[in-house]
Amino acid sequence: MADLLFCSHYPFSSAAKSYVSERGMEIVSSYIEKAEERVSEAIVSGKVRKVPQLSEAQEEELALYAIARMIVSCANNRYLINRYAVAEAKKTSDYLSSDASARPEYVDAVAAEFGIKFEKAGAYFLVPLGKYLTYTPRSTDYKLANREVAAGKVKVSSHERVRILEEAVKKKIERELPIRAAFPDEIKAAGARVLAMLPKLESVVVRVGQENYPPCVRRMIEELSLNVNLPHTARVALAIYLVRAGVATDKIADIFRGAPDFSEKTTHYQVEYLRTKGYMMPSCATMDSYGVCVADCRCGTPLNYRAGIHGRRLKNSEVSNEGSFDKTPAAAKEEGKK
Amino acid sequence: MSGLIQTPEEKFLHRKFSDYYSKSTVSLRGLEKREFGFGGWEKKIEFRHLAFKNETELRARLVSEAPLYISHSVAYYEFPDARPMPHKNWEGSDLIFDLDTDGSACGHVCGKFTCQKCLDAVKSDVVKLIEEFLLPDFGFSKSELAVNFSGSRGYHVHVVSDAVYDLDREARREIADYVSGTGLSFERLFWNDKKKFFGPLPSQGGFGGKFARAFVTRLSDDSFAVSIARKLRKPEEKEKLKSAISIGNWDNIGITNREKKLSEKFEEMKLTMAGRIDANVTADVSKLIRMPDSIHGGSGFAAKRLSAPDAISEFEPMRHAPVFGGAGSAQLRVKATEAIPALNIRDFSFGPIPSGETRELPEACAIYLICKKAACISP
Repeated sequence: MADLLFCSHYPFSSAAKSYVSERGMEIVSSYIEKAEERVSEAIVSGKVRKVPQLSEAQEEELALYAIARMIVSCANNRYLINRYAVAEAKKTSDYLSSDASARPEYVDAVAAEFGIKFEKAGAYFLVPLGKYLTYTPRSTDYKLANREVAAGKVKVSSHERVRILEEAVKKKIERELPIRAAFPDEIKAAGARVLAMLPKLESVVVRVGQENYPPCVRRMIEELSLNVNLPHTARVALAIYLVRAGVATDKIADIFRGAPDFSEKTTHYQVEYLRTKGYMMPSCATMDSYGVCVADCRCGTPLNYRAGIHGRRLKNSEVSNEGSFDKTPAAAKEEGKK
Repeated sequence: MSGLIQTPEEKFLHRKFSDYYSKSTVSLRGLEKREFGFGGWEKKIEFRHLAFKNETELRARLVSEAPLYISHSVAYYEFPDARPMPHKNWEGSDLIFDLDTDGSACGHVCGKFTCQKCLDAVKSDVVKLIEEFLLPDFGFSKSELAVNFSGSRGYHVHVVSDAVYDLDREARREIADYVSGTGLSFERLFWNDKKKFFGPLPSQGGFGGKFARAFVTRLSDDSFAVSIARKLRKPEEKEKLKSAISIGNWDNIGITNREKKLSEKFEEMKLTMAGRIDANVTADVSKLIRMPDSIHGGSGFAAKRLSAPDAISEFEPMRHAPVFGGAGSAQLRVKATEAIPALNIRDFSFGPIPSGETRELPEACAIYLICKKAACISP
């Protein structure tokens, strides 16, 4: 489909890709500038502007999309990539909503990009179960138990159909970036500039003396701070660890604040629940089966990790003292001298 | 592993199990992409991250080591023996449903020796899972389902389908929650529109439809009907409400306190509508699960693969799952180390046996007791 309008609305599509590869694309300075603007706007406001309906602008859009991806790849930061993906997906969603009535074949073509075929059922659509589960957020609105499910298909509204495709676009961009390639210096410089914008924007990372935590726990905390949606089992394991490490509930909630579906109330309730029930820390083998083990520390359970690296002295002086995990090893050393 | 075998019981079981594996065949879809775990007397999974290139290699290992428990990953990996987990490169997983009895269907506590009533209860749970969820709701075909006895007291349903192959944990958790009715909410299925009270149609899919159909059926029961509204004693009022429900209008007769009453019925009936599964197993994409047709070391029974999902109605664990000889086979002298209730294995009835007493039993029965750690070999 050499339909420039379609390609400019959906620059991630395979049609857009072949449009560009057939015609070739020039990387000129003015484009790099505009693409950098696109990325920084995406980071700051979470939005990417729509394209004027002029064929030059539409051609340019394809170039800007491609260059923006290069810039983001040079910056190579997960938070930045995720935020950029959200902004691009949001723009797609706007186009899908308007195209749904004006050019319904566009929506079908975007769905086909992800191997999804929506069946029309009155004012609703039917989507295959697997695709539904892959591309809907895990929220009460989309809870499968409350949906109409029959013959392997789930009924969704036309708005939800767009939402599903938006999620698919977001996941696709997140998955494809960063592109590993050698880029021109001008693009690398743009990447460095957008990366430099980040510290002001990124949510405050909670300090809980992570240096002392086992790699799996550090990784989970890091992922949360990058707004990665941790699986339930990982969250429970992390909360148990933090409870056992003597971290206060408020502070644990702060760590979970980065979760895309964070709820203050639920987190407090669940952490308190784990605390009062005195849940056991899953063993390393269990953590491994959850897919959250990232290193071969051979400590049996993540709780033994600190004792393993710091020896008994640190353990004796710090354990059961709430807030002790807030200290950096240097601070702990200072204290030891007193 | 064989170096660790010490007790006469372990030695004996090792020989018997090895013998079984030398005579049986192993077949498993995507065997070379699976992770395996072996277990022994103390632990069901002692060693994991094992991988085999083909059936011959796996079988040779089973014959030489004869582990008491053999599990394989529900997952397919590029490098099934790599460690830690992320290095395995997960490609996809079968969707698993683990159904077990909690040993309470019979009203007393079964303990070690699951009674017939409990075994039957879990069997009907499997039928319900397949006939009310897997086939109609999820749209799987029977050929995508493989059912096997767990070897102990439950069943595993393996769904091998492209539709679910690459679903992540969270997606599988949704499927598990759906089956067990977790997160099911009355408020999301019913709504008020000024005067009218709308709800699910009996013809629609999902729990809404299940509830509507069950509700309409139960209206025939007068005591149920009257508990909704007194006027529902009259057949014509019942019919009036039924026909309204069929188009999604849940109150055309003026039910007092309708939301409270209907939501109470909903809460009560959702327990019977839901399926009983272990949700954690379904959600776990890297779960190690008993290898079908391998021996369960806690019973000496095979985790018997059923020829087809429908075959479950004819399947009797105590008769069809024992691997070793029944009546007429070699006898074995065992001494009960605890009180053993009356049992029937492979159509051989024995017991109760008081603790400390010795009996000559057919192999299947003796091995069952040894595996249960309820008897030892008596000289």
